[in-house]
Amino acid sequence: MLKLENLNCGYGSVEAVHDVSFEVPAASVFALLGPNGAGKTSTIMAIMGHVDIHGGRIVIEGEDITRRRAIDRVGLGISLVPEGRQLFSDLTVDENLTAGGYARPISRDATKRDRVFGLFPRLYERRSQMAASLSGGEQQMLAIGRALMAEPRLLLVDELSLGLMPKMVDLCLDALLKLKREGMTIVLVEQNTARALDVADQVCVLSSGVQVYRGTAAEAKAAGSMFATFLGIDAAV
Amino acid sequence: MYYFDLAVTGISFGCMYAMMSVGLTLVYGLLRILHVAHAAVFALGAYVTVLVANATGSIALGFLAAVIVTPLFGMAIYRLLYEPLLKYRPDVPMIASVGLLVLMQDAFRIVFGEQGITFQRNAFAFKTFNFAGVTVSALQIAMVVTALVVFTGLHLFTTRTRIGIGWRATVSKPQIAASFGIDPIKVRYLNFAVGSVLAAIAGGLVAEMNNLVDPGIGFVVSYKALAIIVLGGLGSVRGTLIASLVLGLVEAYGTIFIGSWLDRDAIAFLALIVLLMIRPQGFTGARAA
Repeated sequence: MLKLENLNCGYGSVEAVHDVSFEVPAASVFALLGPNGAGKTSTIMAIMGHVDIHGGRIVIEGEDITRRRAIDRVGLGISLVPEGRQLFSDLTVDENLTAGGYARPISRDATKRDRVFGLFPRLYERRSQMAASLSGGEQQMLAIGRALMAEPRLLLVDELSLGLMPKMVDLCLDALLKLKREGMTIVLVEQNTARALDVADQVCVLSSGVQVYRGTAAEAKAAGSMFATFLGIDAAV
Repeated sequence: MYYFDLAVTGISFGCMYAMMSVGLTLVYGLLRILHVAHAAVFALGAYVTVLVANATGSIALGFLAAVIVTPLFGMAIYRLLYEPLLKYRPDVPMIASVGLLVLMQDAFRIVFGEQGITFQRNAFAFKTFNFAGVTVSALQIAMVVTALVVFTGLHLFTTRTRIGIGWRATVSKPQIAASFGIDPIKVRYLNFAVGSVLAAIAGGLVAEMNNLVDPGIGFVVSYKALAIIVLGGLGSVRGTLIASLVLGLVEAYGTIFIGSWLDRDAIAFLALIVLLMIRPQGFTGARAA
């Protein structure tokens, strides 16, 4: 569904990702792992169109989108749950969802909103509150909900577990698995390797912008300590 | 009753300050540029109002022309002056902005003359009413009603329509908003257009009040509006509205207590200096730069 071919990208002339290639089948969860500064977020932001591409190709369902403008990519079915949530903090929950669906016909807005509230009933209770006043877990739910309003086929999720209580991490990961069963393709960037391997079908490990491991989640789990060496110190597999 | 008269004066001036300053706050909030040339937009609004009113004999047509022409000018300032300079430090577009203001003032002077232009027929503005001893002029009613209509409209637009919500989303997180398909460039045009419309209305009303538009009409506005948006907490529309009303009232009451040895504008700035010493972050706090 998504294919990166020899992607080189970065900010200005600084290259953060070197020669990364992988393929993500439809309706699967692909985990991008690795230590801080490995280029995981840069890879995701390149797919979203916010990073300068120096070489290689990004292909979605056979269509080369490498040169497409960032604001057009949402229309191709790509949506983002950014690192640190990045909610529109002085907008209400409802308004954040409205902004999320901006690229889609307004006539479908109400149905999608109900679906988001069905997935996260907590958001419904908070719908007229400012996003900034939500708890960390609720903010993450809203970030996922906002991304779903864009009607994605490919969902990019960056550091879902960061700063969340384990219970909230479970809740949000369960929601992602539910979406996967409904046919969503998900790329998940995580520092929490153990939780990522629980939900992922395939994994790719980046280190200093280079791909150092690729395989299925089951293989990675079986590799155990050897897999851990790829991840450096924070590898509690 | 005198004190009530002063309150009416203060509130009506406050409404006008609000309409002329909000455009500045909007630009600062979105682009972090001090849009000094907003005073030239205001002056253009005043000139268009008086010129068209005199040509057609209808003040309403004057205002209509002003709210059509002025936003085009505001958007052109963004496109031709600021957009090419956005890659530089924020003081570069600000200096360009000051330059444009000076240029426009001299252009008005050359084209329309040093003496300025008066309305040929402006009877409406000086009609006064008496409500239980409080004197209110038609123009003061017009200022307050216009401000109420305009700001209610702006509030509804930014909270009830998807375009308005997208606009606020872009002010909050431009890159993320773009990821959801909200075009940041279109938002900038909208931002300049709305701010300029408000300035044009304020310009027309000030022209009516003075029954005169001269090349310097934007000058006092330029620094007073800057002070207002700083006091309001840069980038905050609500703070700007509060600061405008406070300034209007302080000026009105200040003129009777210390007006014999300080003029109106000096009182305003004295108050701003004192208020900023007490609350350097402005009324709304968090956004102060």
